[in-house]
Amino acid sequence: MTLAMRKLSLTVNGKTIDPVDVPETMMMQDFLYEYLNLTGSRMGCGQGICHACTVIVDGDDGAMREIRTCITGAHWFAGKKVRTVEGHATRDASGAITALSPVQQAFIEHFSFQCGYCTPGFVTGATVLMDELKRKPVRRADLEKTISEALDKHICRCTGYVRYFEAVRDVILKTPGLVKA
Amino acid sequence: MRARKLLGILILLIVCGAVLAGCIFAGLLEKSVVAKDVDQPLSPDQMKSLAQRGAYVAVAADCYACHTTTGGAPWAGGLPFKTPFGTIYSTNISSDPDNGIGNWTRADFHRAVRDGVGKGGRHLYPAMPYASYRKMTPEDVDAVYAYLMSRPPMKVANPANELTFPFNIRQGLTFWNLLNLSGDTQTKDAARSDVWNRGRYLVDALAHCGECHTPRNLTQGMIQSDYLKGAMLEGLFAPDITKDGLTRMGFTPQLLAGFMKSGLSAQGAMTNQMYEVVHFSTQYMTKDDLDAMSAYLFGLDALPKDATPPAPPKAVPVAADVASSARNTYLGLCASCHGAEGQGIPHVVVPLATNASLRLTSARNLIHTTLNGIPARRFPGLERMQPMPAFKDVLDDRQMADLANWMRATWGGEPPNVKAEDVAEIRKGH
Repeated sequence: MTLAMRKLSLTVNGKTIDPVDVPETMMMQDFLYEYLNLTGSRMGCGQGICHACTVIVDGDDGAMREIRTCITGAHWFAGKKVRTVEGHATRDASGAITALSPVQQAFIEHFSFQCGYCTPGFVTGATVLMDELKRKPVRRADLEKTISEALDKHICRCTGYVRYFEAVRDVILKTPGLVKA
Repeated sequence: MRARKLLGILILLIVCGAVLAGCIFAGLLEKSVVAKDVDQPLSPDQMKSLAQRGAYVAVAADCYACHTTTGGAPWAGGLPFKTPFGTIYSTNISSDPDNGIGNWTRADFHRAVRDGVGKGGRHLYPAMPYASYRKMTPEDVDAVYAYLMSRPPMKVANPANELTFPFNIRQGLTFWNLLNLSGDTQTKDAARSDVWNRGRYLVDALAHCGECHTPRNLTQGMIQSDYLKGAMLEGLFAPDITKDGLTRMGFTPQLLAGFMKSGLSAQGAMTNQMYEVVHFSTQYMTKDDLDAMSAYLFGLDALPKDATPPAPPKAVPVAADVASSARNTYLGLCASCHGAEGQGIPHVVVPLATNASLRLTSARNLIHTTLNGIPARRFPGLERMQPMPAFKDVLDDRQMADLANWMRATWGGEPPNVKAEDVAEIRKGH
């Protein structure tokens, strides 16, 4: 059996991927691993439940969206701008990391993760949440509820979520403009 | 003189009308189907022996699903029903004398269940399906009464209904009852088999299928000429469950009986309100009873042994651009769980190629479900279906319409007649 192929072109972490033949039924997770060697988005459940595999899609309106790569076909991302966990930190010209993103830094400061398998998903989810709050700040009193609801879908089996939660709250409170009085 | 005469007639008509309305409002025209002999209380021994059978009758009548909230005290009521006239709450029917029905007599209970008139003449709202329970046998009503009285009292107060005027006047239901309550409580047809008759009794009286599957008229009464032909319910279509409707969805009598037992079939999983029906009611029903319901719905005197499903519908052609857009969407968003060929994943995800929502005349359920998703669900026998994500933020109206048209035409054999505007309406919750 031969797999039906189709050309796929998209932008990943700021780099344009030239049209490449990709099986039309291939999931984005496999494309990231097998074609781009980007293995940060974790294969967890493979059913769209655990959210360890999520990436950011930057919309034309400037808003970020969190998408599960295990259940979304590679071709769905055609022409889109994708950010994997490898694309969050600031890098120098040689590709070396010069600074982690605020969310990544907060997770390290709070010892948020243990085995780290779910962390790329949490980094993605928390980054998307901060992006949403930038455009639509929440009242301080609603912040805890907002964080819980936004990250509730991410599953972690080590730390019981408390340190992720505290790190996200901390970074949101430290960032001006995300919370209103 | 002539004008005076006309005026006199007019006044007379108004007075007659007012007197008639007054009589209706006073309940003078209401016909009770409850016989006098239930004024005689049941003995403690009778209550004890009836309670066990009553548990099963209550299951078949699915009392629990409405009279208990998720995580709430059993039989303590409180489930909200959002109607166009406001919100009403199911009531506490535990044996608590203050909040429940602990001080109701046998006759009070019979009149509530079959006439829609509670203790002290207080009218029930027809969200309580007394129009269907009216056909229950007195013996079954006794059994449910004995069973409920054997349940522990729950000291949970009834929330006040939030209905707008004039619907907050319970006595006004005398008019509804006059229009919509049948005096005919006969469910037996001597020409048909016992199985068919049992099925009819279960479908019409206990399981009250028509309350959702029969469309309603302006006064919210069931339109008997469209019996079980499907109706709109909270933004979804409760499908046609007549023989034609069931066959169209791909059911045989055998498959339908199994579907009511397990909640799962090649046609999909029970969703929305039918999920609760399986969860609280049909999974506990006997095989004989489920077979009888299925036989009756298919108009048969016995359940046939043959379980060969009807031939799949013939694919209908779709415009090339629609097919191309839809196939891209399908492979991008649907195929990882539902399979590239719509085959699903056994015990995890339902197949789409044989899904009933692609074969219904209306695409509404398919679109509504795709936009809003379904939570993870447990089914009898350790089965579990994973949640279906909501795609309303990912698909625009055009993409959704193309997807629905392509899937329904390819697998369901339905004409590709969904328009982007239809999707917009469903998205808005209309």
